[in-house]
Amino acid sequence: MIVAKNISKSFDNRKALDNLNFCLNKGDIVSLLGPNGAGKTTLLRILTGYLNQSSGSVEIYGHNPQQERVAVLSKIGYVPENAPLYPEMSVYDFLSFAGHLRHLNGQGLQKALKETIINLQLQNVLNQRIETLSKGFKHRVAIAAALLHRPKILILDEPTEGLDPNQKFEMHKFIRQYGQQSIIIISTHILEEVEAISNRVLLLHKGKLIRDTSPQELKLSGNDFDIASAFRAMTGENENVDR
Amino acid sequence: MLTDSLTILKKEFGSYFRTPTAYIIIGVYLVISMFSTFYSAYFFMNNNTNLISFFSYQPEVLTILIPALTMKLWSDERRSGTIEFILTQPISYNSIILGKFSAAVLFGLLLLVLTSPFIIYVSFLIKLDWINIASGYIGALLTIVVLTAIGCLISSFNNNAVLAYLFSVFSCWLLTSLNYDFILLPLFNLSENITYRLSQSLNFYHNYQDFIQGEPGLDNLTYFLSLTVLILWLNRLAIDYKKQ
Repeated sequence: MIVAKNISKSFDNRKALDNLNFCLNKGDIVSLLGPNGAGKTTLLRILTGYLNQSSGSVEIYGHNPQQERVAVLSKIGYVPENAPLYPEMSVYDFLSFAGHLRHLNGQGLQKALKETIINLQLQNVLNQRIETLSKGFKHRVAIAAALLHRPKILILDEPTEGLDPNQKFEMHKFIRQYGQQSIIIISTHILEEVEAISNRVLLLHKGKLIRDTSPQELKLSGNDFDIASAFRAMTGENENVDR
Repeated sequence: MLTDSLTILKKEFGSYFRTPTAYIIIGVYLVISMFSTFYSAYFFMNNNTNLISFFSYQPEVLTILIPALTMKLWSDERRSGTIEFILTQPISYNSIILGKFSAAVLFGLLLLVLTSPFIIYVSFLIKLDWINIASGYIGALLTIVVLTAIGCLISSFNNNAVLAYLFSVFSCWLLTSLNYDFILLPLFNLSENITYRLSQSLNFYHNYQDFIQGEPGLDNLTYFLSLTVLILWLNRLAIDYKKQ
């Protein structure tokens, strides 16, 4: 369970997040929606303890990310924007490294590696250096690393950016499946994705949470009864919307 | 915490050998060390039983080479974005800092170990005082430890490895060559005697010299270790500062 109360974040004098309140529960597949600069990545970074909020509080399964970073992060699998990886490592070495960082060892690590490698279909690239992989495979490796310890919360920043339609389809299928027993938060501005995978939408605009609703209800808010028109109506911008 | 540091250490130490960097650094270090030993006037001096010619140039050689080991430790993570990956793992920041630092120190230790055949060879030419040699090696290792801490600190607030290298070399050079008399005298208006003693205890070379002369004391050890702990603590502050 994630409880955010009055979270604000400022960089110098600019307010990136302004008094956000929400509560997420198991089974929630949340699309974090908003134009560029709305504060999506900042919010994800606060939830993962990578950034500190300027004011307000966050509780993740009863723990505070600022004070109990390790306890919080052991429940989270996080894939940052552009899925940063170590290019000089092989896929297997990287996943093994990520497993050790999540305190998996011996047979537990081998079992987790085997399951994750099969689930994300990485068998054929295990010995390849990460720098030689396609963007789609790099994303899958990053997600595999985030899933090794079976986190209760999965946070994905732009998970389908750069993926081809087949890879996107597979990714959506995976997210829907995994989201049945966990909380998934996806930052995106690909609107068709919102409807395809999520059951809840948090719409951010200029650092404010302007809507916390379901994709179906969000559609009804637009003139054309689709998410894109609702998005345009609420954020007053359309140049950043990918369809 | 130690297990986590060990995981980071293994990864970082392994990454040195995934590129030619490690081999180049080893080659350059061995060549410069040998050159400085044999071409130094000290080598042919009588009573060179503690191999002063080898140890006295180590701070200068290490000032150039240790930053090459540390420059990428944090700056590459920042440049490539993997800093977000590593800092969102369920391990403490101290484990990460210690792991990266230990990897570079271990590499430095490897450099010293690789000079052992050369020392053994020299022992056939001149009679060596092995206790002095051991003391000199400990001094060189402590130099590596301090310079590595400086390199890690500089790398932690840089995105650019080249800049991290240049700033680290400059900072290491400042530490190893600075004389504190000119700062302490006008600043605190202390008596000359106190200033001299204070300046000696803060002076890197004075503390290192005791090791290569085979007369290290607890004060020298305290100097190196406390300086290292202080710099690693600053490294931690630099990481925390970036979260704000």
